[in-house]
Amino acid sequence: MDAVIVKDVSKTYGPVQALRQVSLYIEKGEIFGLIGPDGAGKSTLFRILCTLLLLDSGCATVEGFDVVGQLNDIRRIVGYMPGRFSLYQDLSVEENIRFFATLYGTSLEARRASVEAIYSQIERFSNRRVGALSGGMKQKLALSCALIHDPSILFLDEPTTGVDPVSRKEFWEILQSLKAKGMTIVVSTPYLDEISQCDRIAFLQEGSVRSIGTPDKVLAEFSHIFRPSGLLHESKEGTPESLRPSEVAIEVQNLVKAFGSFHAVDGISFQVKRGEIFGFLGSNGAGKTTAMRILAGLSKPTAGTGQVAGFDLGTDYEKIKSHIGYMSQRFSLYDDLTVSENIRLFAGIYGMSRRQIREKTHEVLERLEFAAHKDDIVGSLPLGWKQKLAFVVSIFHHPDIVFLDEPTGGVDPATRRQFWQLIYDAADSGITVFVTTHYMDEAEYCDRISIMVDGKIEAIGTLSELTQKYNQPDLDHVFTLLARQARRSAE
Amino acid sequence: MTLSFLIQKEFLQIRRNSFMPKIILLFPIMIMCVMPWVMNMEVKNIVVEVVDNDRSTQSQQIVHRIEASRYFVFAGQSESYATALKHIETRGVDVVLVIPPRYGRDLAMGKKPQVLVAANSVNGTKGSIGASYLSQIVTAQVEPSMSALQAKVATLNLYNKHQDYKVYMIPALMGILVMMLCGFLPALNIVGEKERGTIEQINVTPVSKWAFILSKLIPYWIIALIVLSVCFVLSWAVYGITCQGSLWLVYLLAALLALFFSSLGLVISNYSDTMLQAMLVMWFFVVCLMLLSGLFTPTRSMPDWAYLTTYINPMHYFIDAIRTVFVRGGGFADISRQIAMLAGCGSVMAVWAIRSYSKHK
Repeated sequence: MDAVIVKDVSKTYGPVQALRQVSLYIEKGEIFGLIGPDGAGKSTLFRILCTLLLLDSGCATVEGFDVVGQLNDIRRIVGYMPGRFSLYQDLSVEENIRFFATLYGTSLEARRASVEAIYSQIERFSNRRVGALSGGMKQKLALSCALIHDPSILFLDEPTTGVDPVSRKEFWEILQSLKAKGMTIVVSTPYLDEISQCDRIAFLQEGSVRSIGTPDKVLAEFSHIFRPSGLLHESKEGTPESLRPSEVAIEVQNLVKAFGSFHAVDGISFQVKRGEIFGFLGSNGAGKTTAMRILAGLSKPTAGTGQVAGFDLGTDYEKIKSHIGYMSQRFSLYDDLTVSENIRLFAGIYGMSRRQIREKTHEVLERLEFAAHKDDIVGSLPLGWKQKLAFVVSIFHHPDIVFLDEPTGGVDPATRRQFWQLIYDAADSGITVFVTTHYMDEAEYCDRISIMVDGKIEAIGTLSELTQKYNQPDLDHVFTLLARQARRSAE
Repeated sequence: MTLSFLIQKEFLQIRRNSFMPKIILLFPIMIMCVMPWVMNMEVKNIVVEVVDNDRSTQSQQIVHRIEASRYFVFAGQSESYATALKHIETRGVDVVLVIPPRYGRDLAMGKKPQVLVAANSVNGTKGSIGASYLSQIVTAQVEPSMSALQAKVATLNLYNKHQDYKVYMIPALMGILVMMLCGFLPALNIVGEKERGTIEQINVTPVSKWAFILSKLIPYWIIALIVLSVCFVLSWAVYGITCQGSLWLVYLLAALLALFFSSLGLVISNYSDTMLQAMLVMWFFVVCLMLLSGLFTPTRSMPDWAYLTTYINPMHYFIDAIRTVFVRGGGFADISRQIAMLAGCGSVMAVWAIRSYSKHK
């Protein structure tokens, strides 16, 4: 018997058609992947199957129960992890899991066995506030909460977006062990390595199912989206022994940022050369964002010195700000302004005249082939476009350095490739690029890479230097090797 | 220059917002056309029930006077005091008047019969005022000379001849308006940017702290100014009430109050991370400042310790001053102390607001 049957399901939100005649079935005990770009209708389908949303037409059943008529039966057997963190940030780990247990009329003690495998990994933080956990831990806790009532089917909506590679591997090991116990798992993910671990996947685009089958078959069929051709970029020569002062874009020595006794950044030193693409890697909670915020002049270092774009970090941080661009992890344009209004605002802040802005806006949008959408409200654009725009805005005033904090979270490989083309264009025009990412394939596009573990820089160099030094086949293995040594999360 | 881009952005966002323009339009109408009727401290329609144990001409006269009065609603007569008391509980009777047996006869014999007035004082004001109106009626009936005496005492209501509450309330309502528009809205706006994360993007640019703060305040100051002017027009058109003193003084007072509440809003937004938190803290201060300001009740009748707080309550100075100007037509000299104190409170708060906002932590 099939665990889930979806037949001709359609759903519209006002003028937007989220799902068009979607039909698929999911077998008991398989890991089924829902793949597709942002706005393809994956979350809508999840919400319909979890009985949170009414469908417009068609019918769907979960474990034989109808999603409209028998919603209470479904809710008892389904575990659901929504895309955004579903936990209460102000409650502790233990309070969260006990709360979810109470919702299902059970207790942590009674259902201990069913979550033991996962919960034991996070139990040592049981008194910590969830808001203070790293992304990977939060997702493990969210999964424990979704499993507490012993569901027979799990719906996971992008559970690993924004989570570092090591935590993602651990998360998928858990999923595989759940599968071994016979649980049906429906999961959406933007990561290729995770897609390959599914038994079957459905590729959704603009609300329609484009293809269903084994990952190999679907990925091959749509290889132009999932396996775009590599990028052509002449990598800069290896790590220089020493740089002339005029060539240094960023330089820091023994930079420390402490929150109480906790050293988020623990004495890092490095140099970034002008015009270089520098990849700043690390697990969730390793201190990447904190370090980047110091470099961008948003945060005061506790100790250490450094200069960015020729200005001192400790004293001239306001001057640094006119010479850099910054694109934060959270989407940073104004959702309620149009494309051109956003560009005008930020360009105006950097002191460009209205006439200059008008001319350059036109030119840039033409180049992006986006001129037709210049009066669209940004909130209505797909995520991939928002991110490209945010990047364009952050380099609109041609800064010396641009900081990108996980700029490509949650978008498909083809869009990420287009994004990287923009990064290369920027680098070719002389802008130094400082980027953090959880995608190892993106990290391989960088000229030089550093890997941060527990607030310290453990490794730094070009891709080939790193793989040789640690004697590993690729960057993914180097990263895993180093990140697994992390002590901080075990404290 | 940068400021003009930022202000343009704020106005665009206000316009795009689905409910802000409506609120801004609805606000002056609500404040001017509805509130003056509702915020009325006069006690009218007191429900009276009479227990007439005498049934003489004299007692009937009292009943007729009650029926004729526009302050009372005569609810009829009942058999006994006990039933009348029950009616207080069940039928919403406010005051019971009990006329003793042989009232008329005793009165004629020169004895002093006692009439009982029992008032439901759950609503204290209504109870006590109702009881005192009633006793006035009874006394006037017993001793016609008393009403003659009353006629000799001349009461002259200065500045507000007909003791119209609207004249008294309208200027104070303008204070509430300034408080809402210049205090709440910018504070919630800033915390909203914090929640969405866009403030981070502004902090990483070379925008100065002044430009950012002013870009948040100026749009709301302009809106408050327009709304205030609309209110003046409405109060003239709807009630024929106009400002007796100089309008410039009223605008000056409003500007000073706006400075205080905007700064209070900024201080709160700087220390809050969520809308909910900012809203509740702001609400707490606003309610305290309003109730302790003398907007509804005379400050002098507060207990001493509460009265002391009015010395640092800008709302108190504002209401005092605006009533002086608007109702009495006072000039600058009459309110110089209030203006000085308002400016003082405003500046202290403004300095705190600027100090507590930091782009670099």
